[in-house]
Amino acid sequence: MPTIKIKGLNKYYQDEDGEPVQALKDINLEIQDGEFVCIVGPSGCGKSTLLEIVAGLLAHTSGEILLDDAPVTGTRRDIGVVFQDASLYPWKTIKKNIAFGMNISGIPKREQEERVKKYVSMMNLSGFEDKYPSQLSGGMRQRAGIARALVMNPKVILMDEPFSAVDHLTRCTLQEELIKIRQEEKKTVLFVTHDINEAVYLADRVILLSPRPSSIQEEYVISLPHPRKRSDEDLVQKAAQIVADISRGSKKPEDVEYYI
Amino acid sequence: MAENSKSPKTKKITSINLLQILTVAVLLAYMEYAVSSGKINRIFMAAPTSIVEEAIHIMRDGILWPHLVLTLQEVIVGYALAAAVGISVGLIWTMFPRVEAYSNVFCSAIMAIPKTAILPLLILWFGIGFQSKVVLIFLFSVFQILYSTVTGAKQCKTEYLKVAKVFNATKLQTVFKVMIPAALPSIFNGLRLAAATALTGVVFSEMQSAKAGLGYLLSESQNLLNTPRMFFLILLVTLISVLLVKIIAAVEYLLCHRWRRV
Repeated sequence: MPTIKIKGLNKYYQDEDGEPVQALKDINLEIQDGEFVCIVGPSGCGKSTLLEIVAGLLAHTSGEILLDDAPVTGTRRDIGVVFQDASLYPWKTIKKNIAFGMNISGIPKREQEERVKKYVSMMNLSGFEDKYPSQLSGGMRQRAGIARALVMNPKVILMDEPFSAVDHLTRCTLQEELIKIRQEEKKTVLFVTHDINEAVYLADRVILLSPRPSSIQEEYVISLPHPRKRSDEDLVQKAAQIVADISRGSKKPEDVEYYI
Repeated sequence: MAENSKSPKTKKITSINLLQILTVAVLLAYMEYAVSSGKINRIFMAAPTSIVEEAIHIMRDGILWPHLVLTLQEVIVGYALAAAVGISVGLIWTMFPRVEAYSNVFCSAIMAIPKTAILPLLILWFGIGFQSKVVLIFLFSVFQILYSTVTGAKQCKTEYLKVAKVFNATKLQTVFKVMIPAALPSIFNGLRLAAATALTGVVFSEMQSAKAGLGYLLSESQNLLNTPRMFFLILLVTLISVLLVKIIAAVEYLLCHRWRRV
């Protein structure tokens, strides 16, 4: 059963001269319950715009977004968001950052503590609860960012290039942890990345957006079960195919932004 | 600080420090010699020993206290009012941009007036006592606090606001849980700057027209050609100004030191 339905979505915004620019063009996408979908595409193609619209952070121009058949008109509790640079509040400890959403919704203190405890240990943050974000590494900060989203127990998690700011080894560890968590917690995940290898390693399905105004250029189903091997031939081939399709889709090859 | 010192708190006295102390000592010694030998007229310069004597005299005979207390009262009341109004208005502007759009031009206009120029008017309206001083101190410091609050709140990263929005924070929650903490460093910056200007304002207005206060005492000493007293009062006012700034810095440290990166 689809959890998220995006129908005929268009997004225009105004540039500095007040001219309308189309960012997203006729996006149609259904994301099944429990599915892990990665969105890739050339830089500046509107991947993050799409994610922010689904999150309810940004208004769309026309079309429809449905979560469990109800239109998404603003931010809501069953959609969690993980930001690019974790975006923790520097004046709050890790514990308080994770509890921020619960604090806002007025969840009793005792329950807050229990839930924070659970996700602190799930995200391997034990011992860092009372530290401030500036005292942590980028990888640890992003763990706290993920915990802050999970602790609200949302149905859907939207992730905007969450691992782009951490080093390669940390990124690999975080990817493996994410797969584990997603299986344990049964979340539907929409994950934006510019790292093609990351996309094929994580996703059940990869969506390739075309350059602006972006529409869905291609879809790739990756049926290989987890745990996957990064060197698996299927994954390597899929990644190469996506890279080739990106180059085909962009007029100027220097626009392409990816890791391989 | 020397690189090899183990704890950053233990300061080592370097040869430069010694040279600085020596410079001050030589200067004081020369002042003493020049005045007592008559090389410089006592009206223009005070010997350090006579400044100390004068200080002991006006403190022991109780001349200083009423003036000191009055000035401190004026500063504290005027500054506290300015801080309360400046921060509150700053936050109201942040919460309601339309209010800012309407009232910013008026605030800018009043801010543009050199405050010392409206002192005669303030005296006419509020008399030469406590009230006119408080109003002047208020005007001297309120804008600095207001604009640093607004700047701080506006510099709040869009990511911070997005996080609040994702969790469906209300406007009030966003202001109190996100914008104010994010603006604190900037607010304190304004409070520190305003503390120094507040003291300038009070001393100036007391010198112009007052019956009491440190500024009044200062201009009276000038009339009486009591140079040692003038020197002492200038030192005292400087000390109060430094103390005020230190107190603000201490409060800021208590609130922010745990998370602010040095």
